[in-house]
Amino acid sequence: MTLAATGPWSGVYTKRSLVPVGRLAVGIALIVVWQLGTNTMGREWLPSPLDTLARIWQLAASGELARDTLVTFGEAAAGLILGGAAGAVLPFILRLSPRLMTALDPLISAAFGMPKLALAPLFILWFGIGITTKVVFVASIVFFLLFYNGLAGILSIDPRLVAMLRVAGASEWVITREIVWNTTKPFLFSGLKIALPRALSGAVVGEFIAADAGLGWYIQNARSLNDTTGVLAGAVIVTVLVMVVNAILQRVQARSLAWRPIARDMTV
Amino acid sequence: MNPRVIVDRLVVFVLVIAGWQLCSSYFGTIWFSSPWRVLDRFIDELRSGDLFFQAAYTLKAALYGSLLGGIPAALLPFALRRRPVAGAILDPYFVGGYGVPKLALAPLFILWFGVDLEPKVALVASIVSFLVFFSTTAGVNAVNSQYVNVARVFGATERDIARHIVWPGAIPYAFAGFRIAAPYAIGAAVVGELISSNRGLGFLIQSGATDFDTTLVFVSLTTLTMIVIVVNLLVGRCERWLLRWRPAQRGLTSKVIGA
Amino acid sequence: MSSAVPMLEVKGLAKRFPPRSGQAESPWILADLSFHVADQEFLTMVGPSGAGKSTLLNIIAQVDGANEGKIFFRGELIETANGSALHPGWNCQFGYVTQDDNLLPWRTMIDNVTLPLKLQGRFDAAARKRVDELLHATHLTGFERYYPHELSGGMRKRASLIRTLAYDPPIILMDEPFSAVDAQTRTQLQQDLLRLWNLGRKTIVFVTHDIAEAIALGDRVLVLSKSPAKIVADHRIDIKRPRDLGNLYKLEGFGDIFESVRRDLQ
Ligand SMILES: Nc1ncnc2c1ncn2[C@@H]1O[C@H](COP(=O)(O)OP(=O)(O)O)[C@@H](O)[C@H]1O
Ligand SMILES: [Mg+2]
Repeated sequence: MTLAATGPWSGVYTKRSLVPVGRLAVGIALIVVWQLGTNTMGREWLPSPLDTLARIWQLAASGELARDTLVTFGEAAAGLILGGAAGAVLPFILRLSPRLMTALDPLISAAFGMPKLALAPLFILWFGIGITTKVVFVASIVFFLLFYNGLAGILSIDPRLVAMLRVAGASEWVITREIVWNTTKPFLFSGLKIALPRALSGAVVGEFIAADAGLGWYIQNARSLNDTTGVLAGAVIVTVLVMVVNAILQRVQARSLAWRPIARDMTV
Repeated sequence: MNPRVIVDRLVVFVLVIAGWQLCSSYFGTIWFSSPWRVLDRFIDELRSGDLFFQAAYTLKAALYGSLLGGIPAALLPFALRRRPVAGAILDPYFVGGYGVPKLALAPLFILWFGVDLEPKVALVASIVSFLVFFSTTAGVNAVNSQYVNVARVFGATERDIARHIVWPGAIPYAFAGFRIAAPYAIGAAVVGELISSNRGLGFLIQSGATDFDTTLVFVSLTTLTMIVIVVNLLVGRCERWLLRWRPAQRGLTSKVIGA
Repeated sequence: MSSAVPMLEVKGLAKRFPPRSGQAESPWILADLSFHVADQEFLTMVGPSGAGKSTLLNIIAQVDGANEGKIFFRGELIETANGSALHPGWNCQFGYVTQDDNLLPWRTMIDNVTLPLKLQGRFDAAARKRVDELLHATHLTGFERYYPHELSGGMRKRASLIRTLAYDPPIILMDEPFSAVDAQTRTQLQQDLLRLWNLGRKTIVFVTHDIAEAIALGDRVLVLSKSPAKIVADHRIDIKRPRDLGNLYKLEGFGDIFESVRRDLQ
């Protein structure tokens, strides 16, 4: 029998047969509470679980779900690739010039403070309501995430390892490949792990503000029609997608960083 | 500071302003406002007090949401410490709730709570609560079990242990949770305003963008950035002052999580 | 005057670090330091903590620059200037075993040991055989596929030692390599080192703050003063090899040398 190995209470073994039963009970209780909420508040305010499920089913059957998911995923993926690549490469370039790094420090700190989500209206003004806007928007979110994490990785390089490798005859390129890359990789992975769900929700938020397709557009459109069921169904779909993406990433990361003593993230 | 560093940074600053000006002349001020217009407008908006009013509205949503979501979330791990089975049962739900993209729920909150402060407070609370909860939980779990055992040997009751060992040990983590959450809280309030509002910095940005008034957009974005930087600084100071008995911790890693 | 050119000669070396902000002058760490090492000699240097021993080895290994002075390797002048003109390891002529094992955590033990050979393009059949011998001699056989965090402190130390021995540089610099392990492991490691050194005699400059270690290992002991480091004494150790490091005080003449080095250090 397995307890969640990742959770904070993974060390609990007493009364352990209670745990799976309890989890099931809590799950059922949540659905019951939801249903009770529907009964007391009215289905216009809180659609019932069944209504929501029926709507999701209907969207899936009509092909709308696939179409909107594809749009949102496409925006997130394109933004992730563009912003991620730029954000991951830049710290490696900055490392070559400590002087440039110090000079850019205030600029980097200022950019760190800027809430990137607030840029959405500006991008819509510049690039219209099409897909480009969302790609740029997602890219700007992802860029900073990977850039800051990569930079933290670069700053955590152990100078003693660098000196050791130099003494053993390593070139600058070998140092970069061997030490800089290996030290920074876990940081980039943590950045990516944060960035993936953010890229998806970034695309959705971008669609909230202006779009003509995508899951965010569907939710926002349902809101403007006062179609609570549509809003709830859309939110459930987005949540499920993000969780699936997270689960996949967890698997991949565990495999590629096998050398580390414990599977912990390099960010907070 | 080294004079060369100061000169370097000045050069970077001048280059940024020059690049900005260049973009503005190339694309035209409708699409890309110029530095001087932004500065001018910034001073105007400050004088008229409008900027203060809108910023206060955004900050109010962020603050109320943080308190509403953060305080119960900081207390819950202490309650769960002595109830490991309950903790284990609820764990997947907490992890799942943490994974929910809360911003995607914004329209739902607006539908439920209207277009005023309430939906933003709810959105902020939903985000802050999970960050604070997981941070505090890490603190409660990190409390040195050796201290607890020693205290038991001394004859301490569970109450004493909670009060003198777990509480002071975990409180820094709760603060760290609030510190990390602060920029998210402001960001979430702004997103709420972007989607639907008639007040706040998010509203200002949105209305500037729809009116092709990029000067207003830039002014609001700059203000927002400055607010986040100042809030980050204040919360960090506050945390350090409250925890001045701890040895100093430095390093960028604790800062990095991204906004 | 011997006709042979010394393996390594250090002349008038001086070093100070750049002043910290808000500080006018930084103190000299090394001042007018001179000594030489003969071919195949095991030279130990003993000095108090903070004397500047690591600084000295960093300069010889070309990891760091000096302010003044010259270093000759087999009579050839090598660069000591501050700055980027340095060639760490002087084209793999100087091996450097530091206080920390500095194994790369993402490489297995064997990949760490063979890394310098691979970097230098010399990982051939002979090198492979040599690595196998070294692994065997240090009881590391069977742990090749372990990551550093899965090895004990003593094993990591031995791996870092044979990583340098495997590529066989003419001079090996050692900076308190055994100071971070427990006493028993340390004696074992010292014995291993002497055995390995005996297999193929090399020139070693071994720095420590432990008087007994300096005497037990070296052909010659240089005593360093507190910073700025100067050489205050030069003792030839004539204790017969092989030496039994388990019973240092039974070694002939050990007690006398120990006493005089201790006096030099005060
Ligand atoms: N990078 C550095 N910058 C400034 N001072 C240093 C640096 N490295 C070492 N020192 C100083 O040089 C002195 C000698 O250090 P070190 O060579 O490490 O001594 P040892 O190895 O003999 O214990 C110490 O006082 C130390 O504070
Ligand atoms: Mg030292």
